[in-house]
Amino acid sequence: MEKSIEAIWKEGFLNEKSLGAPKINDLYNQKSKHLVDKVQRMFRINLLIIIISAFFFPIVYYFLDALWEGLAASVLLLLTAWYNKRQMNSVKTLDQGTTSLDYLRSLDRWLKDVLLRSEKILRFSYPLYFLIAMSTIWSAWNKEGLTMKIHQKLPNLLFVGNTPLFALIIGGVTTLLVFYFSDKICQWEVRLMYGRVFDKLEATIAEMEKLKQEV
Amino acid sequence: MPFAAIIIKICRAYTHSQEDFEDYYQEVCLQIWRSKDNFREQCNWSTWVYRISLNVCLTLLKKKKNNGKTYFTSDVLPDVLTIENRAFEDEHLNQLYVAIRLLSEVDRALILLYLEEKSYQEMADILDTNANNIAVRVSRIKERLKKILHGKIN
Repeated sequence: MEKSIEAIWKEGFLNEKSLGAPKINDLYNQKSKHLVDKVQRMFRINLLIIIISAFFFPIVYYFLDALWEGLAASVLLLLTAWYNKRQMNSVKTLDQGTTSLDYLRSLDRWLKDVLLRSEKILRFSYPLYFLIAMSTIWSAWNKEGLTMKIHQKLPNLLFVGNTPLFALIIGGVTTLLVFYFSDKICQWEVRLMYGRVFDKLEATIAEMEKLKQEV
Repeated sequence: MPFAAIIIKICRAYTHSQEDFEDYYQEVCLQIWRSKDNFREQCNWSTWVYRISLNVCLTLLKKKKNNGKTYFTSDVLPDVLTIENRAFEDEHLNQLYVAIRLLSEVDRALILLYLEEKSYQEMADILDTNANNIAVRVSRIKERLKKILHGKIN
């Protein structure tokens, strides 16, 4: 005689306690791995964008008739890429700890450390990028005879070389401002690129800590 | 973990491998733990656990489908059950689970709730649907399951 599906179900689950439930000690292992992979993937993408830009800049600047500025930007970008690659390699030396919580904590510490060091470096590279951009714009204007026009219209204006003094002062003050606010710019840039994943990392650590206390 | 049996029963119906089962089980546990503060006593705990478990399983299944990971299904039971399909000690239960997995996602949810002896109203509440056509649908699912199982269980 055929068993009804209701009977099969009832008899099959007579002893529910014997059901093998997976241990939930490992609850976050998968999540942590996913998160770490995501951070590393984003770093790799960022590195790739920097390298591509480093090769792209001289070409664009060549057509803007500012090859030297393009090469300077390229060197700066390649140095940034080299530094970022070194940082990426150092993630391998992270203390993986005994649990995924330990690993995530050390990843969080590592990220904060990397960002702090990047801020210090960007304090100098942001003003340099700015100066390169200004130099490009100025040389493009120069080629269109802007200096001549200023000379003709404002003959009493003070010049240092081919550049009006007021333009040098504005450029200098702006460069100093970029230097002063570079950490803020860096934080804003990092937030824009990695904000979501960093928030997720913090939320996961907070959840895991809470879970550890409650379980 | 209270209500572990409910979660196991549901996760088994929506997964084809032990690895997936463990992932789904963990995700459901995590979701329950995360939303435990939002539990309102308008329904009982088990209804709430069913609802979360089904929601999580259906969401994960949808994600998997979007990633292109789908399983071929037919209306024929395999002659030999693979190790992965032998999750329970009871052979008949294993066969029933293989048959349940051949149903659509919503039909799987309906039959699981029916087998857990939920009332049609409770089933409607959990699945957020109308209780009126549940009886007809359950009877059709049972017929289909019988057809699939026919000849396999004596």
